[in-house]
Amino acid sequence: MNATGLRAPNLRDRPRGLLALALRAALVAVLLGAIVGPLAGLVLWSVAERWHWPALLPQQVGLKYWARITQGDLLAALTRGVAIASVTTVAALVTAIPVSYGAARARLPLGPVLLMLFLLPQAFPQLPVFASAAVLFYRWNLAGTYAGVVLIHLVGGLVYAVWTMTAVFRAIGEDIEEAAINLGASVTRTFFRISLPLALPGVVASSILVFIYSLDEFTGTLLVGAPYVTTLPVYMYTASLGYELQIASVTALVLMVPGVLLLVLMERFLRAEYLAFFGRL
Amino acid sequence: MSAARPVEQVLWWLAAIPATMVIIVGFGLPLVQSLVASFTRDGVLTLANYELVYRLYRQDVVYTVMVAAAGLVLTFGIGIPLSGYLRLRHSQTAEFLLKVPLFVPFVVVGHAMRIFLAPRGTLPSLLHALGLVSPDTTLAISEGWIGLPIALAWKHLALVVLLLMGAFRGVGEEYLEAARGFGAGTFRQIWAVLVPMAAPSIGLAAVLSLTSMLASFSIPLMMTKGSGPQMLMIDLYHRYGLHGDFGTASAIGVVSYLLAAGAAYYYLKGVMRQ
Repeated sequence: MNATGLRAPNLRDRPRGLLALALRAALVAVLLGAIVGPLAGLVLWSVAERWHWPALLPQQVGLKYWARITQGDLLAALTRGVAIASVTTVAALVTAIPVSYGAARARLPLGPVLLMLFLLPQAFPQLPVFASAAVLFYRWNLAGTYAGVVLIHLVGGLVYAVWTMTAVFRAIGEDIEEAAINLGASVTRTFFRISLPLALPGVVASSILVFIYSLDEFTGTLLVGAPYVTTLPVYMYTASLGYELQIASVTALVLMVPGVLLLVLMERFLRAEYLAFFGRL
Repeated sequence: MSAARPVEQVLWWLAAIPATMVIIVGFGLPLVQSLVASFTRDGVLTLANYELVYRLYRQDVVYTVMVAAAGLVLTFGIGIPLSGYLRLRHSQTAEFLLKVPLFVPFVVVGHAMRIFLAPRGTLPSLLHALGLVSPDTTLAISEGWIGLPIALAWKHLALVVLLLMGAFRGVGEEYLEAARGFGAGTFRQIWAVLVPMAAPSIGLAAVLSLTSMLASFSIPLMMTKGSGPQMLMIDLYHRYGLHGDFGTASAIGVVSYLLAAGAAYYYLKGVMRQ
């Protein structure tokens, strides 16, 4: 309502309404350009078979470079990455759940301290720690092996898994567990029969987070795995370094697929706090 | 909650061991090793690594801080008004678009920005086509210090808007209504109501973004070439990879820990004062 009561609102508001509408349209247009622009460049480069500067569009387009997905190095890096991500996800979830549940229900007396330990990797710059890990892994014959890459992915993956799963278990009411325990079920039985089934949607969301984290992980894989165990991000870097911009762009677009799928499909189901974790990928 | 029986207590502890071990072996131990390595050379305690960092990389420390600061200013210069506007006037399209960079990995952002901003990239060719720039001028956006803050801001803006929108939504509608009652427009509502009331969240988002930008590795690795000042993480990678000099690389790492800790300290000091 108009608090001064003197101003005729309509005279002022009509032009402002138009202006606001124009501003809104301009905002969406600028955002569209700024966000889609760089990504559109990737699409153009991925189909450019011949592109002489300064033409706006490639002179010759085709799917020659996209065909590389079905063969050779690119496919190998993709399947390797999916395999590593699958193992990492299962390992992260299985090992994270006891920590999260213990911390959420104060069954572990040092729960809060333990949780802080799992926040630590987020607080430090990644590269110096991973470089140091690579030195240790080299000494332990883990450098350039699948086990080494999975282990380095687990460090980051566990951070996501422990924190999302703790939030999930905290959201499940304790009274329903109390009821089961009062009826004579043991704590462990209550966990497997009551709490875990209730937490299943959260477990799925957490798995997707860890899977995509592992698939996109670059720094640790470059330091620990390369050149023997390369995944798509490392493959893209190598292609880009050798000025194979088309191959790098195809790889970049492939790397974006899981995330974009998730964005489109799960926008409504994913809670904001999970989304916030994606900012760190 | 009824306490668990002692046997179960022990079982839960045992079950928590594997995850804890992974963090200790894959993170804790390497962290300690890098601290120790930064103060040793050939097995002797020394400050030689730090002397080398000072001699070779002090300008890069300044450059890294400048790039991160520019990225931060850009991110929040756009992010605050944008989140405020979207808090007051919803736009599903804009909110959806802003989430997209969240799902684009850092390496992909680096590569996309490289081909978008390079002298012969997609943006310069678009500007030529529109007649805004003559084909003879070279727009070296990606290689200079301008391209990095743009790329960093592009990636971080999504998370910052997400955090700020959450904080702005926490500001009660009654305050905004009161401001509107006194004739405040969109701009005044953002600056006089939303920003001061969400200041702690803005500070936290700023520290998160700044530490991430200071430690950024894959974006500068994809975008920059060997010449000129470098981001610290690139120096570290080259020290480690090309020169095999783990001691000096670790000293650069410790400098980056201190920069990140400095940002966190200023934030905590600000929170304490309030």
